[in-house]
Amino acid sequence: MKARTKKWLRRCAVAAAALVAAAALVFVAALFYYDREVAQQFEGRRWTLPAKVYAAPLELYAGLPFSSADLLAELSRLHYREAAELTRPGTYRRRRGRFEVAVRAVRFADEQRPAQVVAVTIEGGAVTSVRDARNQDIPVFRLDPQLIGSIFPIHGEDRIVLTPEEVPPLLPAAIKAVEDRKFDSHHGVDFQAIARAMWVNLRAGRVEQGGSTLTQQLVKSYFLDGRRTLGRKLEEAMMALALEARYDKRDLMTAYINEIYLGQQGDRAIHGFGLASQFWFGKPLDEVDLSELALLVAIVRGPPYYDARRHPARALERRNLVLRILAQQHIVTEEQAQAAAKKPLGIAARPSGGYYPAYLDFVRQTLRRDYKEADLTESGLSVFTSFDPRAQLAAEQAIEGELTRLDGARKPPAGQAGLEGAAIVTLPQSGEVIAMVGGRNVNFDGFNRALAGARPIGSLIKPFVYLAALETGRWNATSMLDDTPIEVALSKGKVWRPQNFSRNANGPVSMVRALSESLNLATVHLGLEVGVPKVAQMFTRFGLEQAPRPLPSLLLGAVDLPPIDVAQLYNGLANGGFHVPLRAVRAVIDERGERIGAYPVEIAPVAAPDAVYQLDRMMTYVIARGTGRAAAARLPRGLIVAGKTGSSSDLRDSWFAGFSGSHLAVVWIGYDDNRPTGVTGSGGSLHVWQRILSALDTTSWQPPMPESLEDMPIDYASGLRVTTGCSQDEVIVAVPRGTDTPFMAGCAPPSGIVDWVRGIIR
Amino acid sequence: MMHRAGGCLSLVLALALAACATPPYAPGPVPTSGTAGGEATGAGQPGAGAALPVPAPAPSPVPPPSPKSYRLSAATSALVTQARSATAKGDFDAAAATLERALRIEPDNPLVWIEMGRMRLASGDARQAENMGRRALSLAAGAPREQSGAWRLVADALRARGRNVEAQEASERADALAPP
Repeated sequence: MKARTKKWLRRCAVAAAALVAAAALVFVAALFYYDREVAQQFEGRRWTLPAKVYAAPLELYAGLPFSSADLLAELSRLHYREAAELTRPGTYRRRRGRFEVAVRAVRFADEQRPAQVVAVTIEGGAVTSVRDARNQDIPVFRLDPQLIGSIFPIHGEDRIVLTPEEVPPLLPAAIKAVEDRKFDSHHGVDFQAIARAMWVNLRAGRVEQGGSTLTQQLVKSYFLDGRRTLGRKLEEAMMALALEARYDKRDLMTAYINEIYLGQQGDRAIHGFGLASQFWFGKPLDEVDLSELALLVAIVRGPPYYDARRHPARALERRNLVLRILAQQHIVTEEQAQAAAKKPLGIAARPSGGYYPAYLDFVRQTLRRDYKEADLTESGLSVFTSFDPRAQLAAEQAIEGELTRLDGARKPPAGQAGLEGAAIVTLPQSGEVIAMVGGRNVNFDGFNRALAGARPIGSLIKPFVYLAALETGRWNATSMLDDTPIEVALSKGKVWRPQNFSRNANGPVSMVRALSESLNLATVHLGLEVGVPKVAQMFTRFGLEQAPRPLPSLLLGAVDLPPIDVAQLYNGLANGGFHVPLRAVRAVIDERGERIGAYPVEIAPVAAPDAVYQLDRMMTYVIARGTGRAAAARLPRGLIVAGKTGSSSDLRDSWFAGFSGSHLAVVWIGYDDNRPTGVTGSGGSLHVWQRILSALDTTSWQPPMPESLEDMPIDYASGLRVTTGCSQDEVIVAVPRGTDTPFMAGCAPPSGIVDWVRGIIR
Repeated sequence: MMHRAGGCLSLVLALALAACATPPYAPGPVPTSGTAGGEATGAGQPGAGAALPVPAPAPSPVPPPSPKSYRLSAATSALVTQARSATAKGDFDAAAATLERALRIEPDNPLVWIEMGRMRLASGDARQAENMGRRALSLAAGAPREQSGAWRLVADALRARGRNVEAQEASERADALAPP
């Protein structure tokens, strides 16, 4: 009996030991498993680093027209703070026209610029000098390029990764104080905290408190999906233990700072404190002050709930709670906390590092030609573009202002969408696109009308009809065209009877008048004589991939193009007959700063420069005299610009495309469902265009006249030559030297009697 | 502005005719002065005087316009120097990027285009070199020294592509404009 009991006990003990051993084995095996799992992922998979996209930096040099107000605006856009002492980057001080700026370190495509202090002097509306700390002249100095967005993957994770050295020491201290006080001593799981949380939750009957350590939060964010089951909790705990066993606290803290989720913008998820600082405050993390840092730590608990843009009151309350905790834990002094609590939230109005969806769309289009999707979304590239935030703002405000005005005047029926618009601004000589608006809601990452909205271009085609004519040498600006009714026989016995917008025919008109008043009949007569195929070929000559079918209706613009293609065509006109592919990307560098992509300017002559010059001169009269004259009075005084209005049949589309000496802008307005707008090219788009050009710091169109041409004053209505001051209605056109245009009666110089007689006969 | 002769006369005329319609494009003399950026001596200052209704002076005799000449501003000239040293090291991407900074500052200066073309030629892209030479040429109307430089670039680019007859013609044009 005794022996049996003993034996039984022994068996029991053995079984128990075996059980314990098995459990221990399972635990150890699990630990090993998770250890491997964790190690593989933690080390093998680095963070996916979406490519960062940067705007063009502002170049400062002696002679640049630039006021103190301009520089202040620029510094504020880059989130520089005024300070008495320039102890850290991102600050400046000012004494009247003299600015000292402590610029941040920047890695450009072609140089690594260290943080330094530069002195910029501005006098009489221009920069007079840029000097370094030793008072040496700097011939050209680039300010920081603004981060304008990221190319993040479908799942939307966007981040900027920081090294431990780049993290202000206060941040880890604050995170620990608020989220996990025992972080430095626990082994990944804080059982006391869990027990406390369970007790609180049991009493409350719902989940009120989490007992997760930072390590567990990291695991949850890094390895697991969002489900909250007991199995998940156990798995999370095991992984946290495995992580702690393998890595030191500093690595884990760095990982946490780079991983944690801190905000949302559409599809874009803001991860890590580096990007969060840009997202919420528009500046790097090492420049945030105590109140801002406290807000970031406050948001950790629930980014949607404590969204500082949507729920500022909630966010402010929690930020001040964080500040009180920091003071209680003696991480900051009571005075510091109280001073910080008095500050406003300090949120940047527009999330920096986003959001210009139309422009980024264009950038992505370029990059997808040359890079794999994974390289763009994961490997930490930096993309430098020609984006100009000032031009973008001007274009956005012009579109929004004009559409609001038009909708107000028009009052679209309830339930119907309002007018839409798109705009593109380029630098014609280099083909760089500096601004793009894809729709009225500029923050909406949806249909990009600037790239994809193909619509009939209407009269925007006309300059190419006239260019084809000028290139033959048989016509010039003073040539008389036939603005009379015409019937064009089409296939299958159909007849095309185009009409002028006014429904009137004007008889003989000069070419310059026919273009500036956009006369359809004169243009169809001319185009048929020149040959429609010649007009169609202009599309491919000026850089489009496809020529439209050479049908007679092409002469009045019965062809659908998106604004980007119109911009490409007109860029060649603005650039003296030279084609430059439109582009947004200047250079791409990899994570180590090596240049891996360059997109230099490529140029090709596509039209005779003297023909283009004659055409451009005529196009200045569109604004001065013709369908664009409503803009003339509102443009800066004396600015010479050239352009063309366009509208499709029944006024479904309103276009304007035009250029100054240094900028080209194309504007489209219409409804998405293609119903008539009642707005002509000169009604809607012209005003947007004029607002954009007026807001830009632009120069007159006045290239040197080709030596084969000469100026000729003519009477606008009759197209006859005059001596200066003779006609009340004089325009000066450019014609080939020796052009024999007859003089107007009474306007011939004394020797020109023969011409005078010829003028009468004509 | 196109022509630079008889400034006073035309200014008087301009005032006398101020009631006339203003042509948007006003060819006529404009008092020249070096801009702070100093892109073109002899070339008009962008925007300056454009609002004036400045008619051309009486048709005959028209004094021939004095030849224009261009120089680089301090900013662009520093960038050109930097680009040349990159070209010398064979770093053509960097040279191109630096020259495009210069181009953005002075997009209408034929000297910048000639410099870009020279760099492209050094990098082996003779076709672009020629096209850039032609762009420079169209910007250099009225400026014989720059035209000559542009023709020389075109000639070298053509020669690099084995088009020797055309290259010879281009060289002769260059020599006629400014003897070597």
